[in-house]
Amino acid sequence: MTIRYLKKHAALEGHVAVDDAEALAQWLLQQREPAVHLGKCEDVHGAVLQVLLALRPTFKSSPADPLLARVLGLA
Amino acid sequence: MNQADLLDQFVIEARECLEAIGKRLLDVEQDPDNDELLNDLFRSVHTLKGNCGLFEFKPLERVVHAGEDLLDRVRHRTLAYSAALADALLEAMDYSAQLIEQIERHGRIEDGADAGSIAHASALRAFVCDSASASSAEALAALPVVAADPASGEDVTPSWMSRLDLAAFASKSGVLALRYLPEEGCFFKGEDPWRLARTVPGLLQLKVEGACAWPQGDERAAWDCYQCNLDIVLCTDAPRAEVEAHFRCVAEQVAWCDATVNVRTAAPPSDGAVSPLLRKRAAALWNDQCELLARAGHSAGTVRAARRALTNLLSCVEGAAASAASASLAELSEEVSASSLLTWARSNAPAAEAVVVATLSPDARMPDTDIAAVLPRIEDSPPAAPQKVLKVGQEKIDRLMELIGEMVVAKNSLPYLAQRAEEVFQQRELAREIKAQYAVINRIADDLQHAIMQVRMLPVGAVFQRFGRLIRDISRKLGKEVNLVVEGEDTEADKNVIESLADPLIHILRNSLDHGIELPAVRRAAGKAPAGTIRIVARQESDRVIIEIQDDGAGVNAARVRDKAVERGLIHADQAATLSDDDAVQLIFLPGFSTADQISDLSGRGVGMDVVRTAIERINGGVELTSVQGQGTTLRLSLPLSMAVTTVMVVESAGRQLGVPMDLIVETVRVPACDIHHFKQARTTVLRGRVVPLRALNDLLALDAAPIPNDAGELAVLVIRHDNESVGLLVDQFQGASDIILKPLEGVLAGLIGFAGTALMGDGGVLMVLNPKELLQ
Repeated sequence: MTIRYLKKHAALEGHVAVDDAEALAQWLLQQREPAVHLGKCEDVHGAVLQVLLALRPTFKSSPADPLLARVLGLA
Repeated sequence: MNQADLLDQFVIEARECLEAIGKRLLDVEQDPDNDELLNDLFRSVHTLKGNCGLFEFKPLERVVHAGEDLLDRVRHRTLAYSAALADALLEAMDYSAQLIEQIERHGRIEDGADAGSIAHASALRAFVCDSASASSAEALAALPVVAADPASGEDVTPSWMSRLDLAAFASKSGVLALRYLPEEGCFFKGEDPWRLARTVPGLLQLKVEGACAWPQGDERAAWDCYQCNLDIVLCTDAPRAEVEAHFRCVAEQVAWCDATVNVRTAAPPSDGAVSPLLRKRAAALWNDQCELLARAGHSAGTVRAARRALTNLLSCVEGAAASAASASLAELSEEVSASSLLTWARSNAPAAEAVVVATLSPDARMPDTDIAAVLPRIEDSPPAAPQKVLKVGQEKIDRLMELIGEMVVAKNSLPYLAQRAEEVFQQRELAREIKAQYAVINRIADDLQHAIMQVRMLPVGAVFQRFGRLIRDISRKLGKEVNLVVEGEDTEADKNVIESLADPLIHILRNSLDHGIELPAVRRAAGKAPAGTIRIVARQESDRVIIEIQDDGAGVNAARVRDKAVERGLIHADQAATLSDDDAVQLIFLPGFSTADQISDLSGRGVGMDVVRTAIERINGGVELTSVQGQGTTLRLSLPLSMAVTTVMVVESAGRQLGVPMDLIVETVRVPACDIHHFKQARTTVLRGRVVPLRALNDLLALDAAPIPNDAGELAVLVIRHDNESVGLLVDQFQGASDIILKPLEGVLAGLIGFAGTALMGDGGVLMVLNPKELLQ
């Protein structure tokens, strides 16, 4: 499990694989104020990145990877 | 989809690719400057290579890869397309076809294939190396020119460049910018564009956007997160080759631009003053002039006009570079030749740089937020949406057609039911209702049948495609010059008809090439153009497809045909003498006929035209030949549109129902018994002033019964066509026409002579369908 869906945010951890993209998208769409934690996220698959870019949840913490952070507009 | 299915799919697609490649290679040979053709050719080869990569078919991949590299050079104009190159490519494609055949048969490539594949690959590579030694720097220099080519339809500096902050790397050299637009379905192929982009060697900067706008509001719920919509731009300082290798799997989705050049040319600020639109127009006009000069055969006036246009263009595009260029233009002599002016124009195209400047200059830079401005540009570039095509095995279509056939037969039983309801059970009302229902079902069944026919229809061009190659190869071997003209390749016919057409047509073309078209010297002596023309014309005439193969060669020598036919013992000498020239020409259709004194590997073995005729007749077609000596020969093939449904005439004879194919029937008449002349065993009658031999169907079928005349003493005569003659069959009664699905005789009945097959009738009975041709022999 690389995504933990918590009450107020989803925590993306480690390498988030392509299979998780759809579930994440669905979850984000259901939230009134969608938010994700990327603090422990090492890397995401392109499809997951696309979900994050398209649905623009609030990012509670930036990922360790500076490239990813920059693409998501966090740095 | 399991591995075997995948492999089948691969074989089908590989075949298609090879066919497309073969065709394109010939097209390109005709028109080597056509970028669109070249790109198309490259794409086909690239697709094939990509497919090979899916499996471990090393030998195949090696050859195709070499071909791809070679074509890439040709595409970028760093290597000229030549006949030798085309030969090598065609041979390599033939070899690939062999390999694919092996794959289809055994699921793998045989062990011995490695040597062959290396030989072919190195033959192709040899071309690449030759040109590489010329100059690799030239290749780089050529790139901006290619980008400015009007045919490619792209701007000199792509708009996406503005998304990168190149100023930060202005001091660096060899900075390469690229845009990676992954295809929509890439996630399903196991690709991860983000990973690919972020692992680029020497990555300096990376930006990601949505290729189309991200979904808003309600669109979000329906948004498919597995349709890739990423648009990645990045720049790197790694060598281009290394970056290319990194993107080798998705090379066609990547657009390149040399950022260094552009950043540097951006330096002189004075050039930025001219509006970008003006620059663009100027660049287009400049290219137009280049194209004009590149055309063959122009007068001195054209050159002067082009020169004036170039000067004017330079004067309106101000700037240091432009003024230097106009100075050098002025230095060219007044009577400059078209080619030298062209070289000058190509090397001095100032507009190309200028447009780069314009787009990069701060006032012209596209603001990132202006989506409306960005969108149309993006829509230009993404790969075309995949066509919605369903690939279905032929056996499934055949099964569907069989079912529809049964449906047609089953629905035909309803009128019988209605009749029974009325006659046996005295239920008029019910009978009428059944008939009404029948009308509805009948209409649907007809539509169904029509629809399935459409599915099975193929354009005849499908078989014509391979002829270009055939003619090219054979005419080269024979030292003849031949142009192939194909018309009406969109004409459609049933798949089975089309497929059974291929072999006869190849025979015909070989014959035309070998016997018809003369050597260039002979043609010139006869006052014809040295290059012969073979014209294949297809068209639809009512429910038949007509294909005419016409050559402007020597024509058939009737006297020689007569002699040869007698010599070979095919007909008797005095019989031959009575034949008219037109009839004598038809002798070439006799089995075992050949006029060639020498047996070549093309034709002359005497298995030519009779094979053609048998093959065409097997699919209910006909062949006609007309030939004018010294002017050429025309073969006219007439084929049925579809073989699925046959119309037959149902006749009754000695209490039996029999079907006769409608296309053979000339007419049905009733002849008074007194008008029938008896001469020994033979019976004849005179119809419209012509003597028609009569045969009793009962006799032909060995039924011991005399034909029954009707109350007026008339006999029913079914006049059919047999070998261009009319023959009358005496039957008892005509029962009208019927559409049937003809089932050939199979199994124990297969050897039965005189019958074409059987069909199921609406009342459940079996109708035997006659083959009058066999019956009368």
